[in-house]
Amino acid sequence: MKNTWRKIIIFLSVMGPGIITANVDNDAGGITTYSVAGAHFGYSLIWSFVPIIIALVIIQEMCARMAVVTGKGLADLIREEFGVKITFYAMMGLILSNIFNTIAEFAGIAASAELFGINKYILVPLCALFVWWLIVKGTYKSVEKVFLVACLFYVSYIISGFLSRPDWNAVANSSLKPAIQFDKAYLFMLIGVIGTTIAPWMQFYQQSSVVEKGIKMENYKYSRLDVIIGAFVVNIIAIFIVVVCANTLFTHGIRIETAKDAALALKPLAGQYCFYLFAFGLLNASIFAACILPLSTAYSVCEGMGWEVGVNRRFREAPQFYALYTTIIIIGAAIILLPNVRLIPIMLVSQVTNGILLPFVLIFMLLLVNNKRLMGKYTNSRIYNILSIAVIVAMIGLSAALLLTSFIK
Amino acid sequence: MFNRITANKMFIYFSELIDKPVLDSHKKVIGQIYDIILKPSAVYPQSAFLVIRKGFPNRKYAIISWEHIQDIDIYSQETSLDIEGPRIAFEKKHDNKNELTLRRDILDQQVVDTHDHKVIRINDIHLLFVEQALMVAHVDISTRGLIRRLGFEKLVDFLVSLIAKNSKYLQTEHFISWKYIQPLSANSASMTIKVNVPEKQFSSIPAADLGEIFLDLNIKQQLTFFQSLDALTRARVFTNIDFKTQKSLVEDLAPKQVAELLNNIPSDEATDFLEKLPKDMAEHILGFIESKYAKKLSQLLGYSSDSAGGLMTAEYTVFIKDTPVETALKQIKERAYKVEPAQYVYIVDENNCLLGTTNFRRLILADPREPIQNVAFPKTYSVHLNSSVKEVAYLMEKYKYYTIPVVDENRVLQGIITVDDILSQLIAFAWRRLKKIKILSKNS
Repeated sequence: MKNTWRKIIIFLSVMGPGIITANVDNDAGGITTYSVAGAHFGYSLIWSFVPIIIALVIIQEMCARMAVVTGKGLADLIREEFGVKITFYAMMGLILSNIFNTIAEFAGIAASAELFGINKYILVPLCALFVWWLIVKGTYKSVEKVFLVACLFYVSYIISGFLSRPDWNAVANSSLKPAIQFDKAYLFMLIGVIGTTIAPWMQFYQQSSVVEKGIKMENYKYSRLDVIIGAFVVNIIAIFIVVVCANTLFTHGIRIETAKDAALALKPLAGQYCFYLFAFGLLNASIFAACILPLSTAYSVCEGMGWEVGVNRRFREAPQFYALYTTIIIIGAAIILLPNVRLIPIMLVSQVTNGILLPFVLIFMLLLVNNKRLMGKYTNSRIYNILSIAVIVAMIGLSAALLLTSFIK
Repeated sequence: MFNRITANKMFIYFSELIDKPVLDSHKKVIGQIYDIILKPSAVYPQSAFLVIRKGFPNRKYAIISWEHIQDIDIYSQETSLDIEGPRIAFEKKHDNKNELTLRRDILDQQVVDTHDHKVIRINDIHLLFVEQALMVAHVDISTRGLIRRLGFEKLVDFLVSLIAKNSKYLQTEHFISWKYIQPLSANSASMTIKVNVPEKQFSSIPAADLGEIFLDLNIKQQLTFFQSLDALTRARVFTNIDFKTQKSLVEDLAPKQVAELLNNIPSDEATDFLEKLPKDMAEHILGFIESKYAKKLSQLLGYSSDSAGGLMTAEYTVFIKDTPVETALKQIKERAYKVEPAQYVYIVDENNCLLGTTNFRRLILADPREPIQNVAFPKTYSVHLNSSVKEVAYLMEKYKYYTIPVVDENRVLQGIITVDDILSQLIAFAWRRLKKIKILSKNS
């Protein structure tokens, strides 16, 4: 009994990086994709979350393991093993892709402002200020606690899922039996759902935050559990988003383009509570991701370039870190407030940069995790390597396909 | 063997050599410069071997002794050897050796700069041509070094010179001499540190700075860095880092190292640390340190942390009342390296009961043959084990003591409290008071 408590306490102290990283995956873009998937295809895409969980666990576990064994972030390791040139261009790619992702998150904030009837010229700057203040004034510990609370708020999607009174038998059935349809729209949607799951910033962020927590090998199993729980939680929430939209919008044949459309369409069909929960979930997810994306960028770039890093430092002690963080937030918030800004091209650029960067990051990871000098006896086993290569090839293929489909559209 | 270097330059950057072609004695390209293995030697290490790489994607490496290098031509950027190509043995692996190498262990890696007291990442290495080899002279951590590595140095230099001809960027070279650099590169699997710059550098860094450097390292580096220090520096580092880091460090050290460490830090710091640990872990640690010292520590651990007993340290200078002053001074000199505070000397009887206090000035000015009790202050104040922090502070302030002795109910000397221990308690207390006052004044 005492032992169980002890284990729970250790887990609570180790928990965080995996759950937080996975949850940010359900950001404004993710929610949009899942809403559209549910509204247009009902339950028929739910099965795809099973392979997504597996892929997410395999890739993020390697990051956590590298962090624990080497004590270094992914950008650190890339710099030390592949040199400064590769690191520089990888970091440029990361900055670019994350700036566009951040813009998309602020678009999510603006959309939820409209849903709640608040002027976006008030809410967006307020959120930007909050996000900036949180990191500049906070310490790693306090920031992590805020992030974990933000993860809890995702429960709003689960509640709204229940409010929509779904047919659970059908949900269970369709999550276990893949029902692939071979028409173009279905395949595009499938690629979209899987392709948005793994983004380059996630590997950098997770590895850095495990390092920052100073987790040791004897507690590694808890860190792995953190990753696994994170992957399950994020996908369960995604399933609920699909279920809400499938249950209401799909059955009534309503077509939507964005998460905002989905929320608005929910109001007459599932009641105003469901609508508010859905909108609140979108706001929470967008703020959360608008904080993590710039943070992860600043972390990785400073790590790689050898500048002072850390949430625990003051502005003066780590000028590049905070300058980068601040700039990305300002750009993100400012662009979304420009009149007549078009979101589709922004999303497209963000997907393109993600898609170009992802193969490199995954291949670097695979090389690093199999480097005996770095990892000692903790390199991938043969079977794990086969699995991870399969996942990586699939992810690269999917993100390439996602790129193509975005251009075809 | 004769090395000729076609250059009128004295220095070269490692980035200018890396990946440049290597020719054999028939001027045929056999590969590119990959790395330089250093001689583990004096303060400024010199090149011992050249690592050549060829082929892609099936890379192969050859290690060539520096004596075979005939010429490093900076202008055509070629290095030629005096051996024939076929005699060079290329192998799949190159890094099974334990020496320090430039590319693997220094370039792009994090190191400790013992001059500016911080952790830095190296952008380039400045090498000096010496008679037979290249010598590591400086490391470059500047942005310009970074840009040079990216291959844009000339372009950026040109652009900057257009805007500001005499800018700081172009004029200053941000070099740090190698003698201030402590590599951290350790094989994370075997946890061995490769080279120790003479340790005396660390003893010149203030303890608080040393603690700060330490906190900048990740947990792997902390361990290797710590193990590369000598016992006294370890103690200085340990007393200047936060509890979480202390705990994480002690978990990873061998029992023998922990015992040595705790023996070297003042007993009040040791009890402070042990007190915060989970009970079973503290007992485990007490189990393998020297039994007499362990007994003392566990005794100290028994007192409440805000009483005199909890604050005191068990290291102090004490003499039996009839010890001649001469003998006392001699013993103090012999024990000069110990950790106890030095201003005051305590005088006890055969049963260790406190009789008096004296200080160094009185000892030095006294007749060497006199027994020590004759040079004591006319009166000695002491506090009891259960005295509160406030009482202790009040007495110390009243009698202007830097240290005050602590006795039990039979006046047996138990330890001393130094002014810095009281000060940290009082500061914490004052802060709490200040906060309260602020809250009250806000409300009213």
